[in-house]
Amino acid sequence: MNVQDYISSGIVESYVLGLASPEEQAEFESMCSQYPEVLTARTNFEIAMEHQAMQNPVPPPPALKQHIKDLILPAEARVIPINSPESATNVNWLKYAAAACAVLLAGSLYWNISQYNRNKKLQVSYDEVARDYDSMAVRLTGVEDEIAMMTLNPNIKMAAMKGLAPAPASLATVYWDSTSKDVYLLVNNLPAPPSEKQYQLWALLDGKPIDVGMIDNDFFVDQKKLLLRMKNVGGAQAFAITLEDKGGSPTPKGPMYTLGNL
Amino acid sequence: MQRTDHSFSYLYDNYSGALLGVISAIVSDHEIARDVLQEVFVNIWRKIGSYDPVKGRLFTWMMNVARNAAIDKIRSKGYQDSLKNQSIPDNADSAVISRSATLPQVTDTGLKKVLTKLKEEHRVLIDMSYYQGYTHDEIAKILDIPLGTVKTRIRSALTQLRTMIK
Repeated sequence: MNVQDYISSGIVESYVLGLASPEEQAEFESMCSQYPEVLTARTNFEIAMEHQAMQNPVPPPPALKQHIKDLILPAEARVIPINSPESATNVNWLKYAAAACAVLLAGSLYWNISQYNRNKKLQVSYDEVARDYDSMAVRLTGVEDEIAMMTLNPNIKMAAMKGLAPAPASLATVYWDSTSKDVYLLVNNLPAPPSEKQYQLWALLDGKPIDVGMIDNDFFVDQKKLLLRMKNVGGAQAFAITLEDKGGSPTPKGPMYTLGNL
Repeated sequence: MQRTDHSFSYLYDNYSGALLGVISAIVSDHEIARDVLQEVFVNIWRKIGSYDPVKGRLFTWMMNVARNAAIDKIRSKGYQDSLKNQSIPDNADSAVISRSATLPQVTDTGLKKVLTKLKEEHRVLIDMSYYQGYTHDEIAKILDIPLGTVKTRIRSALTQLRTMIK
């Protein structure tokens, strides 16, 4: 199939506007994952439609907001202060940090190599059309939108990862959907890695690390917040980011930069 | 709960106007359009687990939730009955059965205004499929044209649309 012909056929607009049949949708989604040009065309049209709609709003009457909020959110919200024992999981964090460090330093334990999934998902940068078959993560645009949605989604659990010795100011967050098993990584602050190294995200389950994907070094070019869709994981107690050789490793070998429990 | 509150406000403040604009292009009555906006936010909340960011941006997803809710509303018996009590606009194309009584006009804004630049045969098909929710089969029957023609004309109209809204 000629990709340019496909892009010019009207399927992109059809899909974005919700006019495509289920078969056409499935085919389009497959094309998007295989060809960055198709994905770029979709994103560009989505943004154009979004601008169009945002520039022609019909402001709702002010009272409607509270009315809708009352329908959706519980009326008497129980506010949990950030430092209360209910919200902070400091004790658990230390316990898992200790367990994770001990396990990762051990080195002599045998890990299940099949956990290292060689499924090569195409990495896509919305700013460039470069193709990189070795990377695993899909970068998402509209970061604030996605964070808002994940915050509202009751199935999503968050792991706030704090920076460790190599870069104590590091900050990253994992959002894990307990129903779909999707994993999203929000990178607030991580130092740009040297070109021969690459960050790798791990899920920690019962003391064992599970590869959840790589972060492409190109993503560190701009300083914006980074939101990535990583590989799925069935279950996790904590998440960690290590710095490995480029291309990653079946088991964590490099220094751990961030760690946090779910 | 504070985070949820904050996230709801973020979404509502940023997007409620744009979504009501999308709805209003389909549902002409202001009050009913607002009812639909309310339904849309409830739907967004309810279907939150089904939104997959890899398949598209959040606004695209919300826009489609809004469009589907608006079309469901204009297809509903109550709305159809209320239309029968209204007089038909002078410029209505009698060959096209309009569910919504909101045919694109030059006074429209945004996407609908862009549509007026299309050739008639293309404009009608976009209007019927996008703004009124008719299936290809239904359009083929109503306009008495082959099903294949419906599909190729819609595709052609959509490719033109892309260059027009850049």
